Amino acid sequence: MRKIPAWLWILLTVGATGLVPVVMTDAFFLRLFTEALMWIGLAITWDLVAGYTGYLNFGHGVSFGIGAYTAALLIMRAGWPFGPAAVAGGVAAGLMALIAGWPTLRLRGAYFAIGTWALNRAIMQLALVLNFTGGPDGMRLPPFLDPKFFAWVMLGVVGATFLTLWLFLEEAPFGLKLKAIREDELGSLAIGINPAKLKLQAYVLSAVPVGVIGSVYAYWITFIDPVSTLGDLITDQAVVMAIFGGLGTLIGPVIGAILFFAFKTYFWAYLSDYQVLYLIILGLAIAATVFFLPDGFWGTVARRQEGRRALQKGMALAQLPEK
Amino acid sequence: MSEQVLKLDSVSVAFGGLMAVDAVSFQVAAGEILGLIGPNGAGKTTLFNAVSGYYKPTRGRISLLGQDVTGHAPYELAAKGVGRTFQVVKPFSGLSVLENILVASYLRYPRQAEARHKAQEVLKFTGLAERADMPAAGLTLAGRKRLEMGKALALEPKLLLLDEVVAGLNPTEGDQTVDLILKIRESGVTILIVEHIMRVIMRISSRIIVLNYGQMIAQGRPEEVAQDRRVIEAYLGEGSQAANGSTA
Repeated sequence: MRKIPAWLWILLTVGATGLVPVVMTDAFFLRLFTEALMWIGLAITWDLVAGYTGYLNFGHGVSFGIGAYTAALLIMRAGWPFGPAAVAGGVAAGLMALIAGWPTLRLRGAYFAIGTWALNRAIMQLALVLNFTGGPDGMRLPPFLDPKFFAWVMLGVVGATFLTLWLFLEEAPFGLKLKAIREDELGSLAIGINPAKLKLQAYVLSAVPVGVIGSVYAYWITFIDPVSTLGDLITDQAVVMAIFGGLGTLIGPVIGAILFFAFKTYFWAYLSDYQVLYLIILGLAIAATVFFLPDGFWGTVARRQEGRRALQKGMALAQLPEK
Repeated sequence: MSEQVLKLDSVSVAFGGLMAVDAVSFQVAAGEILGLIGPNGAGKTTLFNAVSGYYKPTRGRISLLGQDVTGHAPYELAAKGVGRTFQVVKPFSGLSVLENILVASYLRYPRQAEARHKAQEVLKFTGLAERADMPAAGLTLAGRKRLEMGKALALEPKLLLLDEVVAGLNPTEGDQTVDLILKIRESGVTILIVEHIMRVIMRISSRIIVLNYGQMIAQGRPEEVAQDRRVIEAYLGEGSQAANGSTA
């Protein structure tokens, strides 16, 4: 029997997940379903730059907010339909990444982390003071209240993102080259890799889907403001999910996103009187993960197997005569 | 006259006021193993970094296979046929031995299947095949030095720069590495090698260049260089017994 290729598995999984809104039609459930998918999309794209390439992007929310605002402005001010507006949101986020990544990713070290963090702040301030973005009042979009539609759109966008990242990172040479940069950037130069170019490609590849996701978010929630689309929480939560799930894999952040989103939902449903606790728990979760599960949830599971394989291999090696 | 692989034309590398490499000129012919020796701090590694593109020469020109490559980036030089190892080895620790070689194979073979084929070939050639699935971090020093050479070989270089690949190994491992270097030369790769262990460099080099304080003080066949008064002075200090002996 032939092995089923990974891309087919991914398509089948996405297809099967697409049946969920058919069976579960409860509006509250669909809202959670859609948001969980959104966080999966944010976590895997963050991991592309952080986990694979080794560069921390503390401005992931920039792509999200730019996507959301671009779509909202095109729909409200230019009368564009949702579809093209969402594509434009992705393009705008990609262009922003190109502009921001060009100077910061040519350098090694912390410049990128600091640069993206500052960029996020700057764009948020801009959205607050500009008139056409509605300033702190944000923007209201025409309501299109169809929870099933948004569940499927989000699934389509995130599913396509996962498949694209899988092909680029796990099938094509691109993923291993990024890992080489992460492991030793100077060493990667010697084997013909141009880190500045690849890092920029990775950053743009991570920003475009987030821009589209931001556009879908704007049309879905029908209201955006600087805090909800450009605030720290967008980046912070994606970071926690990716780290908790396990960096440098695509499955890890998916698991991390689902588990963390479940916790978050539970927290806001039952413990919302203790809001301040949320950020404290967020911080403790990060600290505990880094301390006890440095490879994340999935990394720990996978490494166990890897360790066992290495052990078996080692025993086999011990029996080989040393030449 | 055999083909000229590398030519340095009065190359200098300065760090502020310090001349780490001072107007060095030499040529490497195809199929040659050129040894580069000199006391600590003589500028050997700096010269390597200039030839592999990590440092831009402050003055002078470097040409590779007749083409001027002065100031080219390391990844451009890798594409043009320069492979190098690092004195302080740089394995991609989190990746397996196979992945380390594979990622270098992509330079010549962008297709996955061909790159894997090339990587397997290099693993066999360097004797790392049995350790292919091990994390690179788990290799011994000898293994990591072999991996360095494997990564460079996967680039199918015309010129291979080896920076102290024998130093730090025990005699058995050292002999195995020397055999590997000779095997690489037989496969048609030109080699420029820095090595501290005289027994090794004298044995394998067809020619030797001696650096001291960034300047080239001697060049020639191993036995000529070993007799050179200035070389002995550089290693043992002026007025030493051996230096006096050779003048007398």
